[in-house]
Amino acid sequence: MKTGPTGPCYWRVENLKQFEFKGKLGSIGNAFQYRANTSPIHRLGAGWKLLLCGLLAALAIAAREPWALATLVGANLVFYFSARLRLSDFWRDIRIFLFQMVIITGLYVIKYGAEEGLWPGIRTGSQIFLMFLPGTVFLRTTKGSQIMRSLKRIMSERLSFILFTSFRFIPFFAREFHEIAMAQRLRGANIAPRRLWNPVHWKDLFNCLMIPLMVRALKTAKEAALSAEARGFGERN
Amino acid sequence: MGYKHFEPADYLQSMRLSIIWGEKLGVKDEDHWSCPTLMTIKAALEITDYCYRYPDAEKTSLSDVSLSMGAGECICLSGPSGSGKSTLLLAVKDLLKGGEASGTIRLAGSVGNQGVGIVFQNAETQLLCTTVKDEVAFGPENQRRTAKDIEMAVRESLNLVGLSGFETRNVEQLSAGEKQRLAIASVLSMSPGFLLLDEPTAQLDVPGKERLVQILRGLKDKGHTLLIADHDLKPFSALADRFLIIESGRISRACDKLPLPFPTPAPYQPPQENHTADPSGDALIHLKDLYLSGTNGHPVFGGINVEFYRGTLVHVLGQNGAGKSTLLRCIAGQIRPDGGRIHVSGIRKLKPDALLGKMSFLFQNPERQLFEETVTAEVAFSLKRLGLPSQLIHTRVMEALSLCEADHLRNRSPLTLSFGEQHRVALASVIAPSPDILLLDEPFAGLDFPQRHRILRILARLREERTTMVLMASHENLPDENWADRTLLLEGGKLEAV
Repeated sequence: MKTGPTGPCYWRVENLKQFEFKGKLGSIGNAFQYRANTSPIHRLGAGWKLLLCGLLAALAIAAREPWALATLVGANLVFYFSARLRLSDFWRDIRIFLFQMVIITGLYVIKYGAEEGLWPGIRTGSQIFLMFLPGTVFLRTTKGSQIMRSLKRIMSERLSFILFTSFRFIPFFAREFHEIAMAQRLRGANIAPRRLWNPVHWKDLFNCLMIPLMVRALKTAKEAALSAEARGFGERN
Repeated sequence: MGYKHFEPADYLQSMRLSIIWGEKLGVKDEDHWSCPTLMTIKAALEITDYCYRYPDAEKTSLSDVSLSMGAGECICLSGPSGSGKSTLLLAVKDLLKGGEASGTIRLAGSVGNQGVGIVFQNAETQLLCTTVKDEVAFGPENQRRTAKDIEMAVRESLNLVGLSGFETRNVEQLSAGEKQRLAIASVLSMSPGFLLLDEPTAQLDVPGKERLVQILRGLKDKGHTLLIADHDLKPFSALADRFLIIESGRISRACDKLPLPFPTPAPYQPPQENHTADPSGDALIHLKDLYLSGTNGHPVFGGINVEFYRGTLVHVLGQNGAGKSTLLRCIAGQIRPDGGRIHVSGIRKLKPDALLGKMSFLFQNPERQLFEETVTAEVAFSLKRLGLPSQLIHTRVMEALSLCEADHLRNRSPLTLSFGEQHRVALASVIAPSPDILLLDEPFAGLDFPQRHRILRILARLREERTTMVLMASHENLPDENWADRTLLLEGGKLEAV
C-alpha cells in the first residue's frame, strides 16, 4: 500500500485527524496553524504583517461606534480571506472568540440588564475578537522560522522560541484536552458543557480535567526542552 | 561526571576493548580478524564502569555499565521498562542533569558531542516547529551554518527519510510514521555520525517499522553508528551487529543473534466452558451498516456489520490511521456515525451518563486520566459517581485492585507510580464498576513484553470471573496469539475476521 502524499493511507490519516476534532467540546485542533499558500499576505514580509496586524488591533481598541466596528469587521474579513484561507479555517479560528463574546455579553446583561448591558457587552466582546483576529492571520500565513526572526527583533531569542513553540503545541493540547475530557466523562465526571453552567461541577473540571492536563503539559514541556537542547538550542544562547 | 571526548590516541585502547567484546561473543582470535564487523571498526564510543543515580532516587539507574562500540556499528539494546535503556542513551548524549555519575563515557574525537544525534521515544513532543522544513532546519540553524548549507542539509535529510516534497506541510498533518521519520530527519540534518534512537518503533505499525528499518539500513550503509533501545528487537534482527540486554541498570547479556529478551509465559488456555460468540443470547454490541465519512467525503467506515457477545475477548487489528480508535469512540458514543445503528447493552442513545457502569474505556496512555491523591480514591471515583454505598465501594475497590495486581499500591499517589503501575491502576479504575463491556485503545503503548502479558492475563481473568466482554484495538499482533476469541482486521473501512 502506498504511504506517500497521494496514497490511500495518506488521505485516511488526514481524514481521521480532522475527524477526531469533531466533538462537543469544540474544534480548535487546527486553529492558528500555518497554512501553506502563495497569497499576497503570505508573500508579505513578517515585519510588515506584524505592523499591519498591530494597526488593525489598535483600531479595534479605538473603535466604539457601531459603524466603526462594522467597518473594522469588513476590513478584517478582507484581510483574512485575501490570505486564501478557507471558511473552515475561519470557523476554527473564531469560535473560541465567539464563545468569549457570548460570556462577556451575558455578564454585562446580568449586571446592567438587557437594555443597558446588551450593547456594551457586544461592543467589548467584538473589540476583543477584532483585536485577536489579525493575529490569527499572522499565524496562518507566516512560517515558524519567519515568526522567530520577527520576534527576535523585539524580544530575546529564548523568549521568542518559547512563544513560537507554544503555538506549535496548540493542536496537541487541544487533542489532549478532548481525549482526557472524553475519558473522564465516561468515568462519571460532570464536565459536559451543559453541566458546567452549574458552578457545583467546576470542581470536577479542575480535578478531572485540569490536573491531568497540567501534568501532561509539564511532561510535554520537559520533553520539548530536551529535544531543543539535544539539537543545540541552548548552546548558541 | 566523567564525560570527555575520546582522542584519536585512545583508538588503540578501544580496539583492545573491541577485541575483548569479540572474546566475550565467543569469537576466537583468528575468527576475530576475519570477522568483517570487528575488523573494520574504530571505536566511536567507549563506556567504562558508568554508574548514574537520578536526583533524589534511592537506587542507581545505571550500574557499572561498560560498552565499546565501533564506528559504523549498530547495537540494539533491550530490557524491561525502567531498566535504564533511555538513561543510557541520555548519558551518551550528555543530557542527564544533576544526580550522581561515576565512570567514563568517551566519544571518538571524530564524533564529539555535536556528532551525536538522539531521536526520542515520543515523536509528537520532540517536534518543535510548525512546518516540516522549519523542523529539519532547526538543528543546523543552531549550529550557525550558512543558509545554503541549511537548505542542502534539509533537502538531503528529507530525502534520506523519504519525506521529499513535504517541506511546507504542517507537522500536524503527518501520520505517526511520518512524524517518526521527520524526527529522524531533524536530527540527521545536523550531520551526526552517531545516532541514538529511543524506542523508535513504539508507535509504528508493521509497514511503518519496515520503512524505519529500511531508513536505518541506509544510514548504516553510509557509515552512521547506531545505538537503538527498544522493547521489540525483531524488526532489527537483520540490521543489528550486536544485541545487548540491560536489566536493573546492568548489561546482563550480549549476543550477536536475536535474543529472547524475556521468558515468554505459556500461551493462554481459554476455560473449558466456551465464552465465544453465542448467537442465541443478545449481543452486547451490535453494529449495523455503520457508515462514516471524513471531512473530505472519503469513507472511514464503509458499512460495518458485527455483533459482540458477553464474555468474549475481541482483538481489532489495523494499521495506523485505519480507524480503530474512531470505531471504539463510535461504540462509546463519542462520535456519531453518518449512517447505521449502534446498540450497546440494549441502549440506542449512547451517552456517557447512560453508559456509566455498563461500559468502560481505557484510552491510550491511561496515566493521563489519573488525578486523585491516592490509588484507592482514584479507583473509587466512578463508584462514588454511581452512588454506591461506601461499604460496597470499599469492597469493589479492593477487588479491582486485587484483579489488577495493584493492591499493594493502594495508599500510594497515582502520579508517583511507574508507568506500568499507573497503567494497572488506570485499568483498575475503569473495571471497578464491573462493566459489561471494556474497550481498550492501544493498551500496550510504552509497556514491555512481561507487562503486556500481565495485562492480557488480567483481562482474561476479568472475562472468566465477571464475563466481561473485552474489545481491544491495536496496531500490532498480540504477544499471546491464543488470547483473543475473535481477531478482526480493520482495513479499507471494512471489519473482517482474520
